[in-house]
Amino acid sequence: MKKTKRFLALALALCLSVGLAACSNSSTPGGSSSPAADGGSGDASGKTKITWWAFPTFGVDSGYEQELADAFMAANDDVEIEVVTINFTDGPAQLTTAITSGTAPDLLFDAPGRIIEYGNAGYLADMNDLFTDEFKADVNNEGLLSSCQGRDGTYYMYPISSSPFYMGLNLEMLEASGAIDYVNLEGDRTWTTDNFVKMCETLRDSGVATVPGIVYCGGSGGDQGTRALVNNLYSSTIVSDGKWNVDANGVKALELLQSMVSEGALDVGNSMVASDELQNFQKEICAMTFCFGTSNEVSYAPIDDAYTQVAVPFPSDDGVPELEYLVNGFCVFDNGDQAKIDASKRFIQFICDDPTWGPKSVVKTNAFPVRTSFGDLYEGDEHMALLASWTQYYGPYYNTLDNFATMRNEWFNLLQRVLAGGDAAAEAETFNTNANTVTTG
Amino acid sequence: MATTKAPKRSLVLQRRETVVSYLFLLPALFFFVGFVIYPMVMGVITSFTDASLANGGQGTFIGLSNYIRLFQDKIFWKSALNTIIIVVVSVPCVTAFSLWVGSAIYKMRSGARSFFRCVFYLPVVTGSVAVVVVWKWMYAKYDGLFNYLITAAGGDALPWTESATMAIWCVLIILFTTSIGQPIVLYVAALGNVDSSLVEAAQVDGATNLQVFWKIKWPSVMPTTLYVAIITTINSFQCFALIQLLTRGGPNYSTSTVMYLLYQIAFETEKNFGYADAMGVVLAIVIAIFSAVQFKVMNGGTTE
Amino acid sequence: MNKSRVTPYMVVAAVILIALAIFFIFPLYWIVTGAVKTQSDIIIKAGETVKWFPTVISWDNFARLFKSQTSLFGAQMPMAIRWLINSVFISVASMILTCISASLAGYALAKKRFWGRALIFSLFVAAMALPKQVILIPLLSEMSALNLVSSPWSVVFPVVGWPFGVFLMKQFSENIPTSLLEAARIDGAGELRTFFSVAFPIIKPGFGALAIFTFINAWNEYPLQLVMLQSNESKTIALGIAGLQAEMSTDYGLIMAGAALAAVPIIIVFLCFQKYFTQGITMGAVKG
Repeated sequence: MKKTKRFLALALALCLSVGLAACSNSSTPGGSSSPAADGGSGDASGKTKITWWAFPTFGVDSGYEQELADAFMAANDDVEIEVVTINFTDGPAQLTTAITSGTAPDLLFDAPGRIIEYGNAGYLADMNDLFTDEFKADVNNEGLLSSCQGRDGTYYMYPISSSPFYMGLNLEMLEASGAIDYVNLEGDRTWTTDNFVKMCETLRDSGVATVPGIVYCGGSGGDQGTRALVNNLYSSTIVSDGKWNVDANGVKALELLQSMVSEGALDVGNSMVASDELQNFQKEICAMTFCFGTSNEVSYAPIDDAYTQVAVPFPSDDGVPELEYLVNGFCVFDNGDQAKIDASKRFIQFICDDPTWGPKSVVKTNAFPVRTSFGDLYEGDEHMALLASWTQYYGPYYNTLDNFATMRNEWFNLLQRVLAGGDAAAEAETFNTNANTVTTG
Repeated sequence: MATTKAPKRSLVLQRRETVVSYLFLLPALFFFVGFVIYPMVMGVITSFTDASLANGGQGTFIGLSNYIRLFQDKIFWKSALNTIIIVVVSVPCVTAFSLWVGSAIYKMRSGARSFFRCVFYLPVVTGSVAVVVVWKWMYAKYDGLFNYLITAAGGDALPWTESATMAIWCVLIILFTTSIGQPIVLYVAALGNVDSSLVEAAQVDGATNLQVFWKIKWPSVMPTTLYVAIITTINSFQCFALIQLLTRGGPNYSTSTVMYLLYQIAFETEKNFGYADAMGVVLAIVIAIFSAVQFKVMNGGTTE
Repeated sequence: MNKSRVTPYMVVAAVILIALAIFFIFPLYWIVTGAVKTQSDIIIKAGETVKWFPTVISWDNFARLFKSQTSLFGAQMPMAIRWLINSVFISVASMILTCISASLAGYALAKKRFWGRALIFSLFVAAMALPKQVILIPLLSEMSALNLVSSPWSVVFPVVGWPFGVFLMKQFSENIPTSLLEAARIDGAGELRTFFSVAFPIIKPGFGALAIFTFINAWNEYPLQLVMLQSNESKTIALGIAGLQAEMSTDYGLIMAGAALAAVPIIIVFLCFQKYFTQGITMGAVKG
């Protein structure tokens, strides 16, 4: 008797909650359309309000984003722009939550890796109209253009600038330890794996730095640096036949790093990401960073000229590096309001193509313009000339390959396992399997 | 039920009381059904689909696939094991320790007693985020305080959160400091309520302090002990901010808990909501069983 | 109170207690001093002495923390202060709503006989131990359908829905003598008047306990905040510091300034109301 009653009550409660579920489900379409209506007409002033999320590509806390928004709003009083800056550690998860909850920004300043993932999943407005023949001819670089395209050839990202990733060294520490003998500071500064190992060992033996360098692998932030390191040491690739694949040379490189870590010539940063490593470089705890780039060398510049930072390409066995590179660009989320999409695109063109703001924005990213017509924006700057000479070493761009996000997660875990003493070949095999497992529709 | 023994009331009165009762319950039920039960049901439904970021969260029904994958997922099992380690280590440690501190301070003068109670309660008030950031600095490998002290004393620097074997202990230490405050307050109160005439009678009979503790005090603080065990269990299962800010589940998943893995799968790595929800469902079932058992035990213990 | 002799055990216990107290207070001390140290005082390096005390008090870390500005109701203020206000708002709103809804429900569950009572109570109890993270994803889509993402209510509502308060207030309401309620009814008092004049004074002590629990719970409800509060303006102070930690992980001075901003106000509140905290916790448990 008591049991039946309890069962009945339970059934009722279940019905109640399911009923409620059904109710709100049926109201979802209405719910999702209301924010758009809100943005379109809700604003009393009739302005189109757009939200811009920016990774710190213009520099951490530079205020340049707001400057751009103010300048654009001054010229276009029908648009209102809200600037939100996000960081590389939490930003990606924030984007996921925002997209999931239908509160994605209108405009995002990022790089192809994530943008193409969002584009392929159907969250972005297509940018085909911005890729005019004039623009394509001006860019004149097939690889770069294709990095802006989704699986089906739709353009999702409007690029503004690009630059290589490289290594940074602490000159005074190299000189004090004598490790400077192994570094090539002539010409385009390419160097070999052997010299890299010797440099690290000399640094270790001299004790000028707490640790020579840190192979950070506590997360995916800045992981292109560690991938470039591994891939250059014995000229391996991470992609073969469109699949993620650490090959035999990659395994050899992992083994080398493993032995260097166990001998103290390098240290492993299991709970560090690139930003942690860079700050340790800046505080002269380590003598090198694997995550230097045009924006990082400004963001993490020496404080009070405490040391001199030196940029070098990644070392490789044959002395010919294959560099990863960054493409900075914008994408527009399709939040169901054409007015917002149009306003965002106008703003993008203002940032990238305006005669005064365009070149200024490129310089703010501290990278090279994708438009060849902008010419040499860093005339007379020897350092930028050196970086420009490395564009010939650009490797294939793989950030838009499917499963990129999964691969990045597997990558830092692979490093953790190998550098903790795991068998490199077996762990690489695990990586090759896991990174290619398509787990999401 | 006991109520059937009461004199029968008229149906009208009964109905009226039911309506009034539900009016009283309305606000609580609104929030409970709307923001606990409803999402729970939705979570269960989603766990049978392949909803992910790639399909806009609108997955299709895939039956038990997520659950099957779950039971084959090594990382899930590793995280489950870590969760169990955290619960199994922290619950007895926190309980025993707070009981000891409680019994050491409850006889003190009220000034000293509230001083200690306050000190141990501070990390609870401060909130885990503020606590974790300072611990992170103390644990830091190159410029942390602990390694400074160790090397200054002539030892070798330790890797702390960098090491797959040490990291979980680093998490446990912080968890410990943020967990014992409340139990101590409870034990101080419970020990103060122990019938002092019983204690005195036993002492007159020549019982040692230890005997007094086991025979008289321990049984009378039993209900408190069970309560402490329950809140500590729940706290330990919920440990999230600590892991997210200190180790992000690493190195090599050695500090990943089910809770943290769920968050990672949903928002960071795969963005696979169906799978993450399946994880949530399994976790909820396990916790429900845990607390049902503890609740039964507690009710049994306090029946007067 | 009979004072027993000082035994060796008591000495050892006192030493351990004091050592532990230092261990517990130290992180807090390190936050507060770190927040006002200069960059050069903050550095810990092998071979150099650690500055256990700040050599000079510098507000530079706070100046950097307060650099980013925002406005609220027309008033210009540092973003970090806005975060603090958000935290307080979320905690206070949760506290008020929980106290109202839980006391009404607890009273009905304890003192009324109605159809479905046993079931509702067991549902409440069953859900009590469940971690909120388990329903994070569906909750997020629900909040977005309700257009509440990045609104403080997206954190407040689930906290209020958590049934612990109802459970606690039910236990307190059991103390209300039924005869008093009967008497009030015979006097012709309505249901609400009976609740306020008869039940409320008796369950009042429970309010303190519940208010404190809810306040601390909402303050520390990190995962929910992390997912729901996406815009910079809607962040809580905990999220704010976590963000600083992610961005400037080794700028310890700045991070400690943020942590101090989060910790010091609530510690002051705690010290002022210490008595009520202790009472509240104790009553909650003894009744529970």
